[in-house]
Amino acid sequence: MTPVIEIYGVVIPTLGVLALAALALYALLRRLLLRTGFYRHIWHRPLFDLALYVSILGVVVLLLVEHPL
Amino acid sequence: MNWLRASAGRLLLTLSMVFCAAILGWIMWDYYMEAPWTRDGSVAADVVQVSADVSGLVTDVRVHDNQFVHSGDILFLVDQERYAAQLAQADAAIANARAAIANAQATLDNARRQKRRYLSLGDLVSQEVRDQHVTTVEQAAAALQQAQANLGQAQANREIAAINLRRSAVRAQVNGYVTGFSLRPGDYVGAGSARFALLDTDSYYVVGYFEENKLHRFRLGDKVRVNLLGDRRPLWGHVQSLAAGITDRQQNQSGVLLPNITPTFNWVRLAQRVPVRVAIDRIPPGLRLVAGRTATVTILPGTPDAGPRRTVASAPAPTATAADHLHDETPR
Repeated sequence: MTPVIEIYGVVIPTLGVLALAALALYALLRRLLLRTGFYRHIWHRPLFDLALYVSILGVVVLLLVEHPL
Repeated sequence: MNWLRASAGRLLLTLSMVFCAAILGWIMWDYYMEAPWTRDGSVAADVVQVSADVSGLVTDVRVHDNQFVHSGDILFLVDQERYAAQLAQADAAIANARAAIANAQATLDNARRQKRRYLSLGDLVSQEVRDQHVTTVEQAAAALQQAQANLGQAQANREIAAINLRRSAVRAQVNGYVTGFSLRPGDYVGAGSARFALLDTDSYYVVGYFEENKLHRFRLGDKVRVNLLGDRRPLWGHVQSLAAGITDRQQNQSGVLLPNITPTFNWVRLAQRVPVRVAIDRIPPGLRLVAGRTATVTILPGTPDAGPRRTVASAPAPTATAADHLHDETPR
């Protein structure tokens, strides 16, 4: 993974792009969880959501960090 | 009871997710905030500022902008006619000095003969006349010495003229690219004023400006990956050295040489950057280095590059040991 990504002359850290990608994934997953009624088994929903987002981002970073992008 | 079990299950599920996020978050923090990599780097090279050693009109230009030249190649010529004429002038001055020596020698010989003749006459001539001829000989001998010194001077002048003529053909001192070149025949160049840059291609290196709080994370000789901006192919190298000092930004110059420290109390402080020099070991084929290109420098700690680790580190003894001490606490 290159540490920076260039978009039309603007260079931004790859982490920023990954954070956006993780956000999209998170939104998708949350919709899925809502539909399946998973949230009934959750004690503190905002806390769970935050943890979910951080975990998704972490997994995305770990998957891509050692591989060329 | 049933309610409690359901509640505990919900609590457990949430907390395990939080635990998972904490671990992943910590790994990401370690990678992005602590690992020794920086986006603030660039390719660098040493530059020779090419100037003529003699002044004059440029008569011939042998290279063009961005041309690769080898060490010793002629770049341009400065008014060689004039310097050739000066050499001829110096040669003539030598011939002149030689003739003057011959002249002085003849004068001396003549004076000696006269002196001998007059001295042999004894008291037939006055003491005054005899003394006069002794003096004449001494004067002639001195004149000969002077003529010989003049010859030495003329020979030295010829040497200078020869050097000037040689230097009127300006040559490349290193292998490299002619850069910023706009010299045309007819331009006047002054002695010693730089006219263009010759970028030494044997001297390419990468410099990464690392935050000071990351310096303990790597050692001299560690392997380095360099990503040039907009290029997928990485360069590989190793940490060659790091700067021994940077300017103290808190301190200003004062007129009376007393310390003048800016009084600040910042809640937010930015880590200062320390230049780290990276020697390039491997360049992907087809990639042309351009000095000044933006680079992301990633040091891979604990992966010494086979060869130069020790040799580079132990080259200048005191700095190397100090740097080693500095880096010995490296936990990784």
